[in-house]
Amino acid sequence: MARFIERHPAWALIAIIAVALLLWLVFAVWPPGLEQAIGRKRVFLNAIFNGITLGGLYFLVASGFTLIFGLMRNVNLAHGSLYLFGGYVGYAISAWTGSWILSFVIAFLAVALVGVLLQILVFRRMEGQDLRQTMVTIGLAIVFADLMLWVFGGDFYQIQTPSWLVGPVQLPFITAVKSSGEPVYLQYPMVRLAIFVASVIIGIAMWLALNRTRIGMIVRAGVDDRDILAATGVQIQVVFVLVFALGAGLAGIAGVVGGTFQSISPGEDTRFLLASLVVVIVGGMGSIPGAALGAVIIGLAEQLGSVYIPTYAIVVTFLIMVLVLALRPQGLLARR
Amino acid sequence: MSLTQLHAPATAVERPRFRAWPELNNPAAWLVALILLIMPLIASGFFLIEIFGTTLILGIIALSLMFLAGYGGMVSLMQLTIAGFAGYMVAVFGVSGNANISLGWPWWLATPMALVLATIFGTLGGALAVRTEGIYTIMITLAIGAAFYYFTNQNWAIFNGHTGINTVATPHVLGIDWRSDIPFYYLILAVAALCYFAVQYVSRAPFGLALQGVRDNARRMAALGFNVNAHRVAAYAFASFIAGLGGVLQVWNYRQISPGSVGVERCIDILIIAVVGGITRPIGPFIGALIFVILRTFALDVLIKFGLDGNRFRLLIGLGFLAIVFWSSDGVIGLWERWRRRQARSPSSTAGSRHG
Amino acid sequence: MDSVAHRLSAVGAGAALELRGVTRLFGALAALTDVTMTVRPGERRAVLGSNGAGKTTLFNCITGDFPPSSGTIRFFGEDVTRFPPYERIRRGLRRTYQISALFPGLTVQDNVYLACRGVSRGRFSFLRPGVNDALMHATETLVQAVHLTPVKDQRVAELAHGQQRQLEIALALAGAPRFILFDEPAAGLSPAERLELIEILTSLPAHIGYIIIEHDMDVALRVVESVTMMHNGRVFKEGLPREIESDPEAQELYLGGGHE
Repeated sequence: MARFIERHPAWALIAIIAVALLLWLVFAVWPPGLEQAIGRKRVFLNAIFNGITLGGLYFLVASGFTLIFGLMRNVNLAHGSLYLFGGYVGYAISAWTGSWILSFVIAFLAVALVGVLLQILVFRRMEGQDLRQTMVTIGLAIVFADLMLWVFGGDFYQIQTPSWLVGPVQLPFITAVKSSGEPVYLQYPMVRLAIFVASVIIGIAMWLALNRTRIGMIVRAGVDDRDILAATGVQIQVVFVLVFALGAGLAGIAGVVGGTFQSISPGEDTRFLLASLVVVIVGGMGSIPGAALGAVIIGLAEQLGSVYIPTYAIVVTFLIMVLVLALRPQGLLARR
Repeated sequence: MSLTQLHAPATAVERPRFRAWPELNNPAAWLVALILLIMPLIASGFFLIEIFGTTLILGIIALSLMFLAGYGGMVSLMQLTIAGFAGYMVAVFGVSGNANISLGWPWWLATPMALVLATIFGTLGGALAVRTEGIYTIMITLAIGAAFYYFTNQNWAIFNGHTGINTVATPHVLGIDWRSDIPFYYLILAVAALCYFAVQYVSRAPFGLALQGVRDNARRMAALGFNVNAHRVAAYAFASFIAGLGGVLQVWNYRQISPGSVGVERCIDILIIAVVGGITRPIGPFIGALIFVILRTFALDVLIKFGLDGNRFRLLIGLGFLAIVFWSSDGVIGLWERWRRRQARSPSSTAGSRHG
Repeated sequence: MDSVAHRLSAVGAGAALELRGVTRLFGALAALTDVTMTVRPGERRAVLGSNGAGKTTLFNCITGDFPPSSGTIRFFGEDVTRFPPYERIRRGLRRTYQISALFPGLTVQDNVYLACRGVSRGRFSFLRPGVNDALMHATETLVQAVHLTPVKDQRVAELAHGQQRQLEIALALAGAPRFILFDEPAAGLSPAERLELIEILTSLPAHIGYIIIEHDMDVALRVVESVTMMHNGRVFKEGLPREIESDPEAQELYLGGGHE
């Protein structure tokens, strides 16, 4: 951080001003002129919260994608399919047992199992041929998409939110002040907050696992320099299978989250694949903190964009990607 | 040896056959050309446009990918997006049923405009993609393609949202309706032949050779005096123009364009076509396109005949693509050549005189 | 051969290659530290040193493959420190690679043709070269000069190792080189091929200077007039070949360095 400020004082200043402005917009009671210019503060706060919680969901999907790429140089374009599969499994389990928590567990295990099978049966045979691997993932994405369409049809499914998470919760953010002087606080859906907290916990857990455990050290060393792995004498193939299982399982969990937040249907696989691509390009390939930063940026850009410039919202997301590629092609938080 | 030779002109050296067209010596190629030329006598209107016309159009778009991937080592998933962009621009600048959007220019103005804009669009996308290397190209170009798809869905001012632009006018010149089956077939054939021979020609020209050098070893190319990234971007520009031509024909073919025509699935179809046909030679994309179009048109009937669900066309395509990727690095051409070599059984004498 | 303007611009510098305080870091690791070195036009010099001494990194800094972290590099008086590699090559600098860096998918002739094209106009030409194209003549002459005419239509991937090394040299001789960097050109060559290499090097036109990295002292000391010894990324000693040969410290360092 200190080094960044030292090396890029202008960028650091811009970032600090932007953060300060954002904090002011979030916490201050908006003057009437501002409300007239850009609309109600409640709308703005909702967009911010939606953006950050959507960022949490994006992080869950993209972190698995970036982990698999970082270690195995495998651009898994079937990652969106894993997300969708997780969503369908989660829906089936929650509809059958009525347990939301159980649907997470089963979705994680089922999708992780798919990941294990893919790594063992397919990708291990073509190690080092990254283009061929990517082609295979494209073929798999098509096959998976059609199989899921076959089984689940073209309907929309929504996973039932458990009763203890239903309903709004009042947050200590003032959206407006009534004429009587009484402040109005922001009401926000409990379930989205809970899921966001969960994804933060998962993110921190991953970061700790990568930085504090032996296997995490091995994975990180492998991301930086693949030759080191061979030199340490660890069973690379086992590490690869574990990482693929974890990355796929996270996509499965994300599918359940997405199915609760929004809904799942054919086409969502492409949408979340694209989101993962952009998040990872912006944040930096192979970097977990990068995925977190990219996810929040893209989530915010999407939500603020769709509120304030609805017909050009996708352009904002895209422009962020262009800007990052132009200024820092390796991504914001990538080492290289 | 002496280096003084370096500066003496070579006199008795055999002339290079740089100008040779390998096709001209191949009787099969002449036969294919003849069949393509007399196709309107053989095929009915449906077959002429729905099968062969569509094949050639998809082949042209896939050819632009083949040029980038086969010669430049850059697998771009945005070639269909560039074609679609050109199609949209024809609809926006030309005449269509959506009078509030279309500017109503005559076709001879709208078409060059669309081609120029599509080339600029593809070149800018390429300039972005060459900021990184290798496998990143796929990701960035896929992101560009997907972003364009979502944008056309959202934007009503230019792209008319998810309904798209309908009843796009097609050219009438010299008293001929160029969208009626037979003239349109010959128009497509002419453009396809032009693109095919252009790619073939450029591959042996300095620019094409340099591109193949960049594919094989970019760092060494820089150490020979080449500006590697400029070459890559120029390759995108050339490929974008070809893709744009395909896009113009595409929009004339369907007379309408909508986000569905530029979907992510469609972008990936182009990759499938090029890879299945064979990505190392310009003929590959056309073979791949023929297979793809035949499957798409007849899979339904065939699947039902075998007692299966007729809607499983995508599954068939996906499995076929996987099979090709698993068993051949050069698509069906590669499989065909391997089969022929096995049939021939004669040991090919490739070894020249080694000296050392 | 040089234009008058070029000579004028080089006045006062007088050196073909001038390095001042060149340092190259890889992360925390310094591969080169404060290297200062001047080479006259037409001078032939060997760079010796054990593996990891920074020799190839030195070449990479000079050609711009990896630009230096600090310091300046002048090529015939012109500051090229921030130039991309291709700009330096177009000014007459050439190099070969320790591990052959060729274009395996192209024929021998196309490889050499690219090298000729890279240092001339028309790199972006969409027109195929004609029968009387000057560069085609130059290509054929060069292919002949390195004895590869019999295999000129073969793909490079099919060539024997010795032939690839010869092609590697041919690529560096294309156009009008003024200064060449040879990175272990004798690596993996048979004794007969080594003799041929020595012949190529000694018969280069006198105005072409070079630096050669070579582990084989028999090759290295026969084709140069001066020697720079490197150790741990620094210049350790400079002198004439016979001085280095008889210098006990240099001998011990080099032979004790466990090369290869």
